[in-house]
Amino acid sequence: MHDRKKALSRRNFLRAASAGAGLAVLAACGGAPASPQPTTPPATLPPPTTAPTLVPIVEQPTATPAAEPAAAPTTPPAVSSGTINGIALPEDAAPPEQQVYVRYFDNTATFTTIDFMVSVYNGGGNALRDLLSDALIRLDRNFEPQPGAALRWFSNEDATVWTFELDPNLMWNDGTPVTADDYVATFQYSSSPEAAWDFAWYYSAPGAIKNWDKALAGEVPPTEIGVRAEGPHTLIFETETPAPFLPAKLMYSAPLQKKQLEAVGPLYNNKPETSVSSGPYVLKEWRIGERLVYEANPDYKGTNKPYIQKLINIGAKPETFFAGYQAGEVDHVTGEYLTTADNEIIAADPELSQQVRLTTQDFRTDYLFFDCQNPPFNDIRVRQAFSHIVDRDSLIRNIITPTQGIPAYSFLMPGFPGSNSEALSSIQTYDPELARQLLAEAGYEGGANFPKLTLWLRSEPPVRQAVAQAIAATIKQELGIEVEVSNKEFDTFMAALNAKPTQVQFGMVSYGIDYLDPSNMLGVWLSTGRHNWWNQTYDEMVLKASEMLDAEERIKLFQDAERLLVEEAPAVWIYHRTIADLMKPYIKGEALEPNKGGFSGLQWPGISAYSNAISTLYIDNTVTELRSTPPA
Amino acid sequence: MVAYLLQRLTGLAVVFFLVSIVAFLLMHSIPGGPFDEAQMPLPPAAKANIMRKYGLDQPLHVQYLNYMGNALRGDFGISFSSPSETVIELIGRTWPVSIALGGSTVLIALGGGIVLGILAAIRQNTWLDYIVTFTATLGLTVPNFVVALWMILVFAVQLKWLPIGGWGDDWRQLIMPMVALGLGPMGIAARYTRASLADVFTSDYIRTARAKGLGEYAVVMRHAIKNALIPIITVLGPMVPNLITGTIFVETMFRVPGLGKFFVTSVTDRDYPMIMAVMLLVAGLWGLVYLLTDLLYTVIDPRVKLV
Repeated sequence: MHDRKKALSRRNFLRAASAGAGLAVLAACGGAPASPQPTTPPATLPPPTTAPTLVPIVEQPTATPAAEPAAAPTTPPAVSSGTINGIALPEDAAPPEQQVYVRYFDNTATFTTIDFMVSVYNGGGNALRDLLSDALIRLDRNFEPQPGAALRWFSNEDATVWTFELDPNLMWNDGTPVTADDYVATFQYSSSPEAAWDFAWYYSAPGAIKNWDKALAGEVPPTEIGVRAEGPHTLIFETETPAPFLPAKLMYSAPLQKKQLEAVGPLYNNKPETSVSSGPYVLKEWRIGERLVYEANPDYKGTNKPYIQKLINIGAKPETFFAGYQAGEVDHVTGEYLTTADNEIIAADPELSQQVRLTTQDFRTDYLFFDCQNPPFNDIRVRQAFSHIVDRDSLIRNIITPTQGIPAYSFLMPGFPGSNSEALSSIQTYDPELARQLLAEAGYEGGANFPKLTLWLRSEPPVRQAVAQAIAATIKQELGIEVEVSNKEFDTFMAALNAKPTQVQFGMVSYGIDYLDPSNMLGVWLSTGRHNWWNQTYDEMVLKASEMLDAEERIKLFQDAERLLVEEAPAVWIYHRTIADLMKPYIKGEALEPNKGGFSGLQWPGISAYSNAISTLYIDNTVTELRSTPPA
Repeated sequence: MVAYLLQRLTGLAVVFFLVSIVAFLLMHSIPGGPFDEAQMPLPPAAKANIMRKYGLDQPLHVQYLNYMGNALRGDFGISFSSPSETVIELIGRTWPVSIALGGSTVLIALGGGIVLGILAAIRQNTWLDYIVTFTATLGLTVPNFVVALWMILVFAVQLKWLPIGGWGDDWRQLIMPMVALGLGPMGIAARYTRASLADVFTSDYIRTARAKGLGEYAVVMRHAIKNALIPIITVLGPMVPNLITGTIFVETMFRVPGLGKFFVTSVTDRDYPMIMAVMLLVAGLWGLVYLLTDLLYTVIDPRVKLV
């Protein structure tokens, strides 16, 4: 659901997902490496995860025994040219001093914290963060939730009380144990009005943490929220309504240390002197706006042990990312930062084109939307008319380029749990004749008497400005309606969109997941969401499905709701984004093997505590051909 | 002179006050606020509570008075976009960097520009003049971000002669940002110097100086330059505050950790304390530079009197 703000517009975020045992998870951004692979998206995207079993997990079978050493890749590489922090390096790995990964962060994006629970949108663009403690669960490259700090979890009958059993081995590197109190203190902090946490809505409905909204509103103290400890290693979450997707949602749960939070404040991780880590890395250096360096935490006791010993994040302007990659300064550039021109150069270059790796990133969909409560878009025929004038294939071919997206005829991207894209693809078809007919039926034949429109964009880069211009031209040509495209600054756009009543009559925007469950994406269209479209039936379906425990029934109800959404056309879907990263060939690891969807880029949420990619990535011994000395 | 200075400084204080009001009103009138939901709306009660915690629910004049009251006591608040330091600390960390880069650019670009302008004026319509004019026009017309990207591609990516960016580790890191920042001002300086000198060269007193047999060096350096400087100072003086407060593009492009980006990001982030601080800083600098420029006129031209 977000997207890159300021840097925008592309700040990459984590999102994520999963529906393995049927749960979705979320995650955030991060980019990362990948292995050689085709520059075109896999011909077939993964089928929608059928019938994710969103049943509350009464005994999490995937739980790892507490004492089990962790994290080696599931296809363990043969051993090894060395041992680091007690783990053996893969056979083809470069020596430990070369186990260094470098990438840029956007030095124009606001970057105030490396902790998700302190701020999401001020977390920098493409910054390496959330590495200093373990989240309760984390995702693998197929977006399946795996045990993180929680070794097992289960719920009561109606999925309103969830118990997480924490890994008792976890220690902060000041020698104190990680306890449930750290998680409780973190959630209490994030729900306090003082924190003004910019992601606070996330733990609201659906499946809101008990008293979460009341704490934000100051009606109860944060100590009253439904997060509590039962003993040092048992953490309980209570929700207002059944929340079968809660474990997935709790990917975003990397805790702050209670002690430092109280002693220093929420920004204690901004300086190495006050920073404390129980995660796979420790903070070594942070020069604001310039450089951020982590080293592997020698005292890490969790199950996500890294091979890569040093992570270097250099602040640079996105326009120079590609040049820096070519100059060999960084190992990886996230596709969001590559321009159409960059991609043309890459496609024409035999070497670079081998370094492209595709990801689905956060299952982001771009769409047109309307103010459906006021004329002319309160007439469904007008909205439907607009839904038939977007020639997605042509846009992908001529503007977006095939590595960067696939046509969207509905909201949930193929591969996303509950996606029903094939069945829904016959509704918003490209059919200008039908569009003209519908418009005439609504009383605007040939565009007569139709008001001139302004198509609002949210700080979009040139490629999507071009998409909008092409759509505007088609609307003029096919429907006779004047459309002016206006690319707004991010905050201006969001303030106008969220205003009640909304100030945006006609706009183009995108949404990507926060956690991998249809309740997340489809929740955007609830009457409490950001768009001015109210449909009681839709609201009831989505809210009911969100709370349902029968996985199959649940998905079916979500699919019915999405069908209604597509038919009612409060939005015209344009394309689902795929992201083509550039990654040096010496980065290896299971995280870069093709996932179920055939994508072999570093999948969301990338290098962070929310992914087990950390424990599989390594630098192989061909690195010295391209990087003779390790970056310092 | 003292009365004049007092008068000007009083005027400056008034300007300061007016700028603070205008900036305050403007920043509150643009849509969006520092704690707006970036994506999904918060429950209204929660939003209201957050606004209350930060005093943003108060009437504007109360917020303004609170801010100015604190500012007059030296407390400019904490930047929303860099909350681990005060605004003063943030400016103290970044501005010296911009001053270092901008200051060296001022010396080299303006100094170099004036020298080139003099050479072009002396050798009018020769190859030297053409080269200077061409370079100056190029510096003026090619935007600094084009120059910056081009230099990065050529000198850092292809030739690998210069580091791609950074600050403080290697003196060569200064070269590309200085050129990108300085080409425009150098072009302006060269063009104005040439035009102004060329104009002075046609004056009677220059003809007289030559007629009485003074050497060309003495004619130019003793008589012409001084008189040509007034229009040059008028144009170049105001460039200084721009250069020493940094520019977002050149600084972010070459990873110079200066103040420049905050002129843009503070607004896009609705970082109210920072917006106010940079506005007041710039207002103060401009006021001072104009004052200094006026004082310089009296030094250069004794006929100018400050009243």
